[in-house]
Amino acid sequence: MKLMVNGYEAHVATGGKKFEKNLPTVLFLHGSGLDHRSWALQTRWFAYNGFGVLAPDFPGHSLSKGAPCVTIEDSGKWLADFLDAMGVREAHVVGHSQGFLSALELSKLKPTALKSLIGVGTAAAIPVNPMLIETAERSPMKAADLMLQWGFGHQTQMGVSATPGMQPIAIGRQIMGNNPLAVDLQCCADYCGGVDAVGLVTAPSAMILAGQDKMTPIKAGLAIADHLQAKLVVLRNYGHMLPIEAPKQVLVALREFILSVEKQIGASSSS
Amino acid sequence: MGRSSYYHPDTMALHSGYVPESDHGSRAVPIYQTTSYVFDSVDDASSLFNVEQGGHIYSRISNPTVAVLEQRLAALEGGSGAICTASGMSALFTTFITLCSAGDHIVSSGQIYGSTATLLRHTLKRLGIETTFVSINDQGALEGAIRANTKMVFCESIGNPGLEVANLPQINSIASQHGLPVVVDATFAPPGLCNTIESGANVIVHSATKWIGGHGAAVGGVVIDGGNFDWEASGRFPELTEPYEPFHGIKFWEEFGPNALAMKIRAESMRDIGACMSPNNAFLLLQGIETLNMRMKQHIANTKDMVQWLQSQEQVTWVNHPDLPSNPSNAIARELFPNGAGSMLCFGVVGGRAGGGAFIDSLKLASNLANVGDSRTLVLHPGSTTHSRLTHDAMVAAGISEDLIRVSVGIEGIKDIQADFANGLRAAQRVAESQS
Repeated sequence: MKLMVNGYEAHVATGGKKFEKNLPTVLFLHGSGLDHRSWALQTRWFAYNGFGVLAPDFPGHSLSKGAPCVTIEDSGKWLADFLDAMGVREAHVVGHSQGFLSALELSKLKPTALKSLIGVGTAAAIPVNPMLIETAERSPMKAADLMLQWGFGHQTQMGVSATPGMQPIAIGRQIMGNNPLAVDLQCCADYCGGVDAVGLVTAPSAMILAGQDKMTPIKAGLAIADHLQAKLVVLRNYGHMLPIEAPKQVLVALREFILSVEKQIGASSSS
Repeated sequence: MGRSSYYHPDTMALHSGYVPESDHGSRAVPIYQTTSYVFDSVDDASSLFNVEQGGHIYSRISNPTVAVLEQRLAALEGGSGAICTASGMSALFTTFITLCSAGDHIVSSGQIYGSTATLLRHTLKRLGIETTFVSINDQGALEGAIRANTKMVFCESIGNPGLEVANLPQINSIASQHGLPVVVDATFAPPGLCNTIESGANVIVHSATKWIGGHGAAVGGVVIDGGNFDWEASGRFPELTEPYEPFHGIKFWEEFGPNALAMKIRAESMRDIGACMSPNNAFLLLQGIETLNMRMKQHIANTKDMVQWLQSQEQVTWVNHPDLPSNPSNAIARELFPNGAGSMLCFGVVGGRAGGGAFIDSLKLASNLANVGDSRTLVLHPGSTTHSRLTHDAMVAAGISEDLIRVSVGIEGIKDIQADFANGLRAAQRVAESQS
């Protein structure tokens, strides 16, 4: 669906079903250079199993118009405005990589908006080599190639795909190479508020981490999990692009955690 | 621009799409000779049917052995996804029927395989899909044939059997100005010879029966989604951008983006038409792919030798290969095929059609049959076989003359091929002498 946020048309995927705001909402946030399609195989399950799903393309990415956010703080503000525009008061917020940093900023601005917080293949800070940013400025496709070589684990590099017949590297490359990758990477490089933001999170949380993650090494993700006292799931044989390369395992981890949070909410509201 | 793997093509040909499975560690790709797959639970079944997770349901739709072949071919061509089919013709039909409906229109090269021409000219016309045939490298003719209801520009990267190389960058430039995808049958240009997607293709079709399989043992086809066409910006493809009712109103472009076409083919054509590849054929084709690049080097080397040798034979009246300056598409062939434009060649012999017949009937090593791309040398007289259903004008447009002999140069010892052909040329000579 399309909606206007801060004067620009935003695209938001709803998992193949009309968004119902009276259902528990799950908000999916994509990583650098990516879009809502990162979550293609998770959003559909939630939409068809009793949830309202929102997977927006951040401004200036793929199907959303407007200029891209130039800081993580801006993207957190945009998310708050987006939820207001949707009329959503609270959501389970799932962020992949950079999307998790934006979720942290949303949490800082609007702590009550988070029913739960889930980080997927991420950390509290994502330092980026300046040469990669320079490359992305000159040639987003070349930078995408570098990131995809690092981003996907061994099986995907070998052409194995969770969806029969498809090639995740080519799909990711087309999306990343045509999005404002350099701006996103600069946002990540500049962001240093993650640790403080993590300290302010009060919502229940989970971290789904990859054993072969070279972009946000697992050590950094484990540190946040510890800090947040988050439920921890480690998928050992996969790389940074977890939602795409291990979609079923990520879905299982997400639904177990989100359903458990919903159960707790249900139990406390009935007691 | 397409890229699906960061391995060298030789490595992709051996490994892409498969890592040894965990139960038994089978190094070769296992043949999953099964019709269907047990679901973990009713919920699991439901989520598979609703594309909430990847996986296999029924082998008409997808199969693990076939999926390895699909992923390997997508990797080799740099595509976002691939769907294998029962044959090259079913791959073409699937592509046409996925992108076109009654009332739509295709612009096609006139120089294409006879059965493809028949499919476009007769079968699709019966379904309300019209085709205009043009000389594909004629910019004015191509542009002039595009209509408001046109859905694609179709060509073969190397035309069969006229061996005209399609100027893919030029064709793409014209097609993209009109929001049209370029669909290329690249059967004569197997992966590795030409970077077909980078050159301008948005969708590639192969008859995998040919060089990809390479051993004349299995029939199969594939459609490769280049992932580089914006179906929404085009504005011509509601099939991909608007809700698809039989699938809970799914919007393929919105949900899958670069692999929207491949997903639509899987969801619709494989379900409705069911032209699936058998796992056993997929296994045989995978054996062929493993040595594709090595075989192609020998095919090309033998072809270069044969072209030169034929030109020096007095019974040969003409020789055609895209690498020859006399071929009208030689300049673009050199650009798109830096290592050689394939292993098909055509030539004429003294004695016209009768001379050609005598030549073919005298061969002992080369086989007279209706296939190409086998490791063995194959010959054919298209005018009386593959293209015999075409009218005289269509034959001329396809680049076929009465005396044309089509050769798919194999990888046998070059001296043995030449000796066999020398014998055939002497037979043609005798026919010519009897005519004078």
